[in-house]
Amino acid sequence: MLKVKSPQDLGAGIMFLLIGLAGIVLGRDLDFGSARNMGPGYFPLLISGFIVLIGAVVAGRSFTLEGPAIERLQLRPILMLLVALAVFSFLIKEIGVVLTSILMMVVAAYARPNVNIVETVIFAICVATFVAVVFVFGLNQPMPLWWNG
Amino acid sequence: MEMFEHLATGFVAAASVQNLVFCLIGVLLGTLIGVLPGIGPIPTLAILLPITFGLDPLSALIMMAGIYYGAQYGGSTTSILVNMPGEASSVVTCIEGHQMAKRGRAGSALATAALASFFAGCVGTVFLAAFGPILSKVAQQFTSPDYFSLMVLGLVMAVVLAHGSLLKAVAMVLIGLLLGLVGTDVNSGLTRYTFGIDGLWEGIDFLPLVLGLFGIVEIIRNLENPPAHRTPISTRLRDLWPTRDEFRLAWPAAVRGTGLGSILGILPGGGAVLASFASYTVEKKITRQPERFGNGAIEGVAGPEAANNAAAQTSFIPLLTLGIPSNPVMAIMMGAMIIQGIQPGAAVMTARPELFWGMVASMWIGNLMLVVINLPMLGIWVKLLSVPYRFLYPAILLFCAVGVYSTSTEPFMMVLMIVFSIFGYVLMKFGCEPAPLVLGFILGPLMETNLRRSLTLSRGDPMIFLDRPISAGLLIATLLVIALIVFPQFRKTREVAFQED
Repeated sequence: MLKVKSPQDLGAGIMFLLIGLAGIVLGRDLDFGSARNMGPGYFPLLISGFIVLIGAVVAGRSFTLEGPAIERLQLRPILMLLVALAVFSFLIKEIGVVLTSILMMVVAAYARPNVNIVETVIFAICVATFVAVVFVFGLNQPMPLWWNG
Repeated sequence: MEMFEHLATGFVAAASVQNLVFCLIGVLLGTLIGVLPGIGPIPTLAILLPITFGLDPLSALIMMAGIYYGAQYGGSTTSILVNMPGEASSVVTCIEGHQMAKRGRAGSALATAALASFFAGCVGTVFLAAFGPILSKVAQQFTSPDYFSLMVLGLVMAVVLAHGSLLKAVAMVLIGLLLGLVGTDVNSGLTRYTFGIDGLWEGIDFLPLVLGLFGIVEIIRNLENPPAHRTPISTRLRDLWPTRDEFRLAWPAAVRGTGLGSILGILPGGGAVLASFASYTVEKKITRQPERFGNGAIEGVAGPEAANNAAAQTSFIPLLTLGIPSNPVMAIMMGAMIIQGIQPGAAVMTARPELFWGMVASMWIGNLMLVVINLPMLGIWVKLLSVPYRFLYPAILLFCAVGVYSTSTEPFMMVLMIVFSIFGYVLMKFGCEPAPLVLGFILGPLMETNLRRSLTLSRGDPMIFLDRPISAGLLIATLLVIALIVFPQFRKTREVAFQED
């Protein structure tokens, strides 16, 4: 029975294999050409090939070399942060930078447990004001301040 | 002296009120973010990059350089006071600096770090001014094979200097190269790996990639494993000055560190990290009282701090003369230049001298500001360490989002940032360091172009890389570096050096 000694390496190896294979499969229609006259596929396929090779070695090595375990995934932080980013990109055109910033920061605050909502909102209002002043007035960035554009 | 004329041009350009203000803002913001534990120069530069976009190119570059020095200096402050290196080049400062702080010499350690950095900054500026033009003349001799070999050497060095497994670092570089190729192939005009998405025609945007991989992943890392609360060692301002004895020990170390750093900074793959480790090793080797090391030897603060600052300056030389970033930090600087519409390289110096020399001059000004303004503001930076993370991270996240949005209002940019955040998260879980990826990403298209040109020149014969003396020399250097890694003793040193606490 093969035993995984380094779960991180196995994961990384498989990931490299997948990326390398994706590079080869997705680039299969690109003309490879020759060394003398490199086509658009030459360099990408060369690199993808190397990535596959390293992926295989790293994955294989994980059965012989001891290595650290993969840290437990914690869904809450990453999910809430990504939701906060999505909130920002959906709302900024609709309700302007001030309200969007406040909402986004409140959502982001829930990436941690035990949120003190009053404190969070007050702080979010301060930062949103700061961002509006710096980016809209100071740096003249093209973003609406409020919902009426 | 031609050099002084050039420098004068630079100072005239850099010393306009507007540029001085941006330099100051850059230094302050860089320190502000850099002081936060666990945030090194790369995430700091990434987070603050967007605020430079609205500026004219010189102001933007001056501000970026200011941010970089500020971030480095902020990192040293955190290292000394809380024993938490924000970046690899401060790891060494932690060793002796924090011991000094424990013995009640925190102020002295901070002042030594700042003064040694300033001294190194002055020398580094002169070095840059003296060697920049010489190297740009050398650069004119460079042909495609030489550029290609130089990039190979740079990438190999980046791999050696990355944290953790070498093989994984190689894979990261290669994945970076591959990501760099996404978009329209300049040679054939065909699009590659674009999946029919318009937003990818011109390649993957730099900012969402860097902010996702560094900015956002950094937040997630801190939320998953909240750093243990460590109270900074309090320091009074009047304890700031080193004693006469400390000064006597520190200045020769700072001079040695400066020399070492200036030279190591120019090398491909060199830079602040390599320089600070090298300087610490040297100081430890030549001291007459080795027992003091590890217990707060001031040479161990002065030397490495001088070295990393000198190297930070001189590592601009390959970027500004050859157009090739020698380490991931420089890759971000190059990204910033390209966003400003400047293709770094020897042409910058001749076509836009005010830009090149203005930047050189601003580096010195930035260093001066660090000493004159930052040191007295130490109390504020230390206070910042006590701001709870629950306030900081939503604000950092917001800055990332606003930054990306202000470069492009395309919703696709945000999608890219989310994709790279997820990718960066996976990399973190699998123990892969993303810094080499950025270097590969920036170099991808350059490497392909130069490989193609070389092989077209030689009609497909790879021997062209050995026939050209410059290229052959660079490849031999690459082989030496690889030999060094395989050589067990060096390998062990590397593992010790990069062990995370």
